[in-house]
Amino acid sequence: MKGEADFRVIAALLKKSGQERRSMFKEKNFDFLGFFLRLVLTAAIVVLFVVFFGRFCDVYLAVKTAGKPDPVTRGGELLTILYAIVILGMTVGCLGLFEKQIFKADDNRLYSALPIGANALFTAKLISVYAGQFAVSTVIVLAINITYGLHAGVTGVFWPTTAALCFLLPLISIALASLAIGPYQLLKRFFKEQFVVLFVVATALLGVFFWFYSIILGAVKDLLLGDSLRYFFNDRVIGRIATVASLLYPGRWIADILTGVDLLKGWLGLVLFVVVGLAIAIFMIRFILTRSLQERNEGTDYFRRKGKKVKAPKSTFYALMKREFLLIFRTPSYAFSYFSVALIMPLMVYFCMDIASSLVMDLVGIKCDLELALFLTMLFGALTNVFCGTNISRDGENFYVLKAMPVGYKEVMFSKVTLCAIVMELSQVASAVLLAASGLLAWYDALFVLAVGSAFGLVYICVATRYDFDHAHFSSEENGEIHESGGTMSVIVVLGMAISFVTGGLLFLLRILDQLRQLGVGYLTYILAAACASLAVAGALFYLLFRLRRKYYEFTGGGL
Amino acid sequence: MSETKEEILKVEGLCKRYAKKGDWAIADISFSCYAGEMVGLLGHNGAGKSTTLKCLEGMIPYEKGEILICGNDIRKKPIAAKRNMGFVTDNHAAFLKMTGIQFINFYADIYHVPAEVRQKRLEKLEEVFCLGDAIQNLISSYSHGMRQKICMMASLIHRPKLWVLDEPMTGLDPRTQDAVQKFMRSYVKGGNTILFSSHTLGVVAKLCDRIFLLRKGQQVDSINVKEKYAEDPNFNFEEYFFKYEG
Repeated sequence: MKGEADFRVIAALLKKSGQERRSMFKEKNFDFLGFFLRLVLTAAIVVLFVVFFGRFCDVYLAVKTAGKPDPVTRGGELLTILYAIVILGMTVGCLGLFEKQIFKADDNRLYSALPIGANALFTAKLISVYAGQFAVSTVIVLAINITYGLHAGVTGVFWPTTAALCFLLPLISIALASLAIGPYQLLKRFFKEQFVVLFVVATALLGVFFWFYSIILGAVKDLLLGDSLRYFFNDRVIGRIATVASLLYPGRWIADILTGVDLLKGWLGLVLFVVVGLAIAIFMIRFILTRSLQERNEGTDYFRRKGKKVKAPKSTFYALMKREFLLIFRTPSYAFSYFSVALIMPLMVYFCMDIASSLVMDLVGIKCDLELALFLTMLFGALTNVFCGTNISRDGENFYVLKAMPVGYKEVMFSKVTLCAIVMELSQVASAVLLAASGLLAWYDALFVLAVGSAFGLVYICVATRYDFDHAHFSSEENGEIHESGGTMSVIVVLGMAISFVTGGLLFLLRILDQLRQLGVGYLTYILAAACASLAVAGALFYLLFRLRRKYYEFTGGGL
Repeated sequence: MSETKEEILKVEGLCKRYAKKGDWAIADISFSCYAGEMVGLLGHNGAGKSTTLKCLEGMIPYEKGEILICGNDIRKKPIAAKRNMGFVTDNHAAFLKMTGIQFINFYADIYHVPAEVRQKRLEKLEEVFCLGDAIQNLISSYSHGMRQKICMMASLIHRPKLWVLDEPMTGLDPRTQDAVQKFMRSYVKGGNTILFSSHTLGVVAKLCDRIFLLRKGQQVDSINVKEKYAEDPNFNFEEYFFKYEG
């Protein structure tokens, strides 16, 4: 009887979860454009991956060791490393889902007061996490395996195993995430409300990641320029890859099954790993869920500032900006996705410029550093300012509080735009200084890049702010935090890419024509870039301000 | 009596609906509040109390009517109108990433309160609301009642002529409820005006000079509490209220 009742409760909880997911499509202000662009971006990433992975498969599977090709062994190494990366990524994603759906979910408090057993709640939440991971794993596994299957000779077990993997992979990531959840929670406790320390550590980690990324990009460039790709995978390198691949479990087992090298060992290892991992997962998550529920109900969230003082009066505009700054800085996910990215953006521009400058010179035979710098600054500027697509939504219901205060719509909106503009400008200045100091650009060109980059940065900020204002979606969570990137962000990414590729493409074309035909119109780069920037700024400001006063006072958005 | 006093709030023919062709959430609401009086808005759930208050706070637009705060139209002169008003929302919306003291300083900056005045007012407000050292903590760590207190404190830092509260007693402990009620009385005695909505009939009857009854978005009655009790010492407010509620 009890089991039956629990089963009904689980079904009810899952039904509620599904209804909540579907309800977003029924919202009055549902952002179809943003949703569509998110789908397009995801599809574009998958297509890009399929194309590049397919080509790489052809090269790598044909690599010879001791003078002979061995596509099955190479395939095993390739799949091992790839699935190890996928499992790592999915485990990190799973940690996020644990956090969002199990430990931090606001409905937990309500559930704890309802006649819902811990088992039912836990099972429903775990199924919910599994469903999310299953969707991701299906896309990834199909993209990898179909591409690999079409480029390599595969055995009869390959396709059924592919289908099984879609179901198995989420279990592996859940098992691994449950092992990592303990240390992760400890780290979180340590960093809790240590806003400055957390920000410094996060920024440093991001910097290291991009530095590592630039090393890989540099190596790829050297390989491409030196025509040494087919010589790169010599016996020594392949030996190292084989050693690494032999250690990367459970990716190794997956590869063993897919290539049909050792089916028994592969399945046995994988099933044992999943069973033991899930047993640990159930124990760990239940333990932490119970504790987090207690802490949540007791309200142990604690932070104290030294000294209690009334401050000297500041202007309204300053007060609004400070409020905005504190909201971002004291929300670790916001601080990371905005301030850290803005700080690291100059390094990314520098790394990419350093690599692409010589690459373009060697491939096209024409020096077009200024155009490249403009393109990169526009592109990375858009990625940095994507966060501005939450300028209104992250206020949540407090946006109505601001509306009820004696501050005009311009002060409210421009305080947000100004703070973003300051962050953007600091990032742009650092980027220009880096490019000039490293000798990649002449100082006057760096100044020009700064001016154009700042102009386009302002464009992204204005468009993102207004678009979010028109499609605001407030978080329904108690802390008001937005955990999912909304459609607004996709719109800004697509806009930034369109601007960068169209303007950058035009500038490249102009430079190539100028050089090939000796037209002597190099100055047109400056004129065209300045004209595009000016037009874009005018358009963005018009978009931001168009009927803003009326819309602000009539604002009833947010979806709450 | 009220004719001789300054008109602080005037609501005339207020109409609001949420969907373009939907039903009116409030229809043709008219009332005035004068300096030195406490006015209550009463009604069942969905009667239109919060909608009325949100309209006069400038949070949401309305289709018809006029709202004047100290003579300033909330639509035409929103800044001037809001400067004379302090408000506390029913959901105690506060900036969670600020500490209590930062939140109060923020309000003081927005309402241009000089530093020396802030300190004195803050000390007085602390006596009433007793937040103690918690004022230094992040608001995200506050309980429901503490958030209610900090919202009330911030909304009073500029000594508004009109203090608007949506369900002010909800979530407060009995001791603080008593302190707040005493404070409300003294605040009104100082020549200020309070307009609040509530479901607690006893509190409304005890505190208010006048009460407006709303039902299904319409104003159904206006009661002068003192006059009612003078006319009939056995006047039962609860019976009276339920008569309208059906």
